[in-house]
Amino acid sequence: MTMTSRQRLLAALQGQIPDRLPVTTHHIQDYFRNKYLEGLSDREIFDRFGLDAIHWTVPCRPDPANGEYFDPSQPEPTSPRFSRRIASDQWRITTETLPHPRYATIRYTITTPKGELTTVLQSNDYTSWVTEHLIKEKKDIEIIGEFVTNPKCDVEQVNREAQAFGECGLVRGHICGFDIYGQPGTWQDAAVLVGIERLILETFDDPAWVHELLEILCRRKEIFVRSLAGAQYDLLELGGGDASTTVISPKIFRKFVAPYDARLIEVAHEVGQRIVYHTCGGMMPILEDIAAMKPDAMETFTPPDMGGDTRLAEAKQRIGDKVCMIGGFNQHHHFTGCSEAETRAAVQRCFVEAGGGGGYILSPSDHFFDVDLNLLAAFGDEAHRCVYS
Amino acid sequence: MNHLDDIFNGVLDGDLTAVSAHVQEAVDAGVSPVRILQEGLIEAMDEVGTLFEEGEYFVPEMLIAARAMKAGLAILKPLLVSANVEPAVKVVLGTVQGDMHDIGKNLVAIMLEGAGFEIVDLGTDVAPETFIAAVENEQKNVDLIGLSALLTTTLASLEDTLLAIEQAGLRSRVKIIIGGAPVTAEYADQIGADGFAPDASQAVTVAKALLTN
Ligand code: B12
Repeated sequence: MTMTSRQRLLAALQGQIPDRLPVTTHHIQDYFRNKYLEGLSDREIFDRFGLDAIHWTVPCRPDPANGEYFDPSQPEPTSPRFSRRIASDQWRITTETLPHPRYATIRYTITTPKGELTTVLQSNDYTSWVTEHLIKEKKDIEIIGEFVTNPKCDVEQVNREAQAFGECGLVRGHICGFDIYGQPGTWQDAAVLVGIERLILETFDDPAWVHELLEILCRRKEIFVRSLAGAQYDLLELGGGDASTTVISPKIFRKFVAPYDARLIEVAHEVGQRIVYHTCGGMMPILEDIAAMKPDAMETFTPPDMGGDTRLAEAKQRIGDKVCMIGGFNQHHHFTGCSEAETRAAVQRCFVEAGGGGGYILSPSDHFFDVDLNLLAAFGDEAHRCVYS
Repeated sequence: MNHLDDIFNGVLDGDLTAVSAHVQEAVDAGVSPVRILQEGLIEAMDEVGTLFEEGEYFVPEMLIAARAMKAGLAILKPLLVSANVEPAVKVVLGTVQGDMHDIGKNLVAIMLEGAGFEIVDLGTDVAPETFIAAVENEQKNVDLIGLSALLTTTLASLEDTLLAIEQAGLRSRVKIIIGGAPVTAEYADQIGADGFAPDASQAVTVAKALLTN
């Protein structure tokens, strides 16, 4: 029996065997969409390349009882993938465009009764990045702890979108990140706010301060996770590449990452949500540690020449019976500069190494930008041939 | 235990205070600064590189080891200068234009510095002109340029930088090594770089091999 995309992806997520290998992708980058596909929508792209669709959405709502409202300074988000920011009279965000010869550069200032916090973001055609971290002095975290707003899920909006999406595929969101340029994982959010190298050094120099910061960020995320009760999400993302072992050590993962994110996963389960834990980098030394946090799925299983360390077959053998695995495909070498036959062989290899017994969703190991469209088509088509008989 | 062993172990443990104290003790006890550098600090960083390659150490251990090594080096530097010991090789390092990833590049800087090279770190998002200006402006000759790129979209900046260095007429004066997660030895060949290393400790081996040839 042929399954719908939704049934197929859900079967794999629940560790079961679908009709064939589910195949999808991580976020579709606007650069790719605009350069190669004349701005097609996510849905059109999934359909055109035979991929099982994902609908990303993260609608949030303010809590007027706490004096919160939508940030009036934020332009309307261009995609449901981006949330609206929540402001209050004690957490006001203003922006200022700074001159720069190459990049759009914006300074954000958060004004609170006890002082201002600032951060600078730059962007080019591909993406955005932080050039000035928000947390500069240790005491800045007290301001955050006292005044930060707490986004909650707009459950009704998620459910409307889920109804409309129907059997097309999965509805996916992520745990709320910090304002302006946040990330889902607690440690990952802290890394963006402090800068990853400084954060690593502080784990040695002032671990109590790092825990205090993580606790503040985690509490805010927990409020968001509790608000997910009743939302018809299929999957929510947590984690981030700064928790991978190409960046930190298993020791730091165990002390500073797992305790906080495991707590969020537990609460997510209490309110009936599934979590995918994202580590786009080294995972092999901490596979069991991640699985022990009990996420429903793990991604991205990045291969060595994309900056990760995954040996897919070994990963499947070590944790494949505990979680669904998503990713593993080398988007750099098999979406550009190779033959269709090589791309197809790479799909088959992933299927052989991780597909056995189900519980595996084929996907590029995170983002891609430049793509030979024939190879993307071969990627989708070959996955259709990977059937479970 | 002798001073050099203490220094070696202090670096391995990333213990900045211990390394500073032991380096000072060694200096006070009359051990030559060159020996402290070579047999204490550099040997320790070499071991750190090996432990990293073997998967025993991760980035955090390297960062604190480097910090400890630098604390020791700060004590030695004035002594080395007054003894007229010049660092052998000057390296200009940077992450190419459009790319903000610098953890890998910083580790390469750490290991090269730990191996006795002098580093001019240009930071991230470095335009080709900035690399060229650095080579032209450094009073002492630059022997080696190290370029880092982490994004598939900035691989092209590696090639652009190489081309610009060539067009500026500097190519024969410097060796160029490249690295970063999506970079391969084949790619280095393809764009005409002199060398490639998959990690920071092998960057030292490659740099040394290139400069002795
Ligand atoms: C940490 C990280 C970040 C941090 C960087 C913080 C910092 N200060 O560097 C932040 C959050 C800023 C970031 C931003 C982005 N990132 Co990022 N990031 C990573 C991550 C998780 C780890 C990179 C890292 O530091 N590795 C650890 C170091 C030690 O390894 P390394 O850099 O490879 O370096 C070693 C070797 O390569 C070599 N080496 C490195 N340089 C050199 C130089 C020379 C001369 C030599 C010889 C050797 C050498 O030695 C090093 C030490 O052993 C990777 C994941 C991954 N799989 O690599 C993604 C990754 C590189 N990022 C990615 C992306 C997409 C981005 C963003 C575009 C995100 C976005 N907005 O969507 C932005 C881009 C911003 C920009 N313009 O650069 C993708 C790239 C995908 C692609 N197709 O190119 C990756 C691969 C994640 C993924 N799987 O998708 N990122």
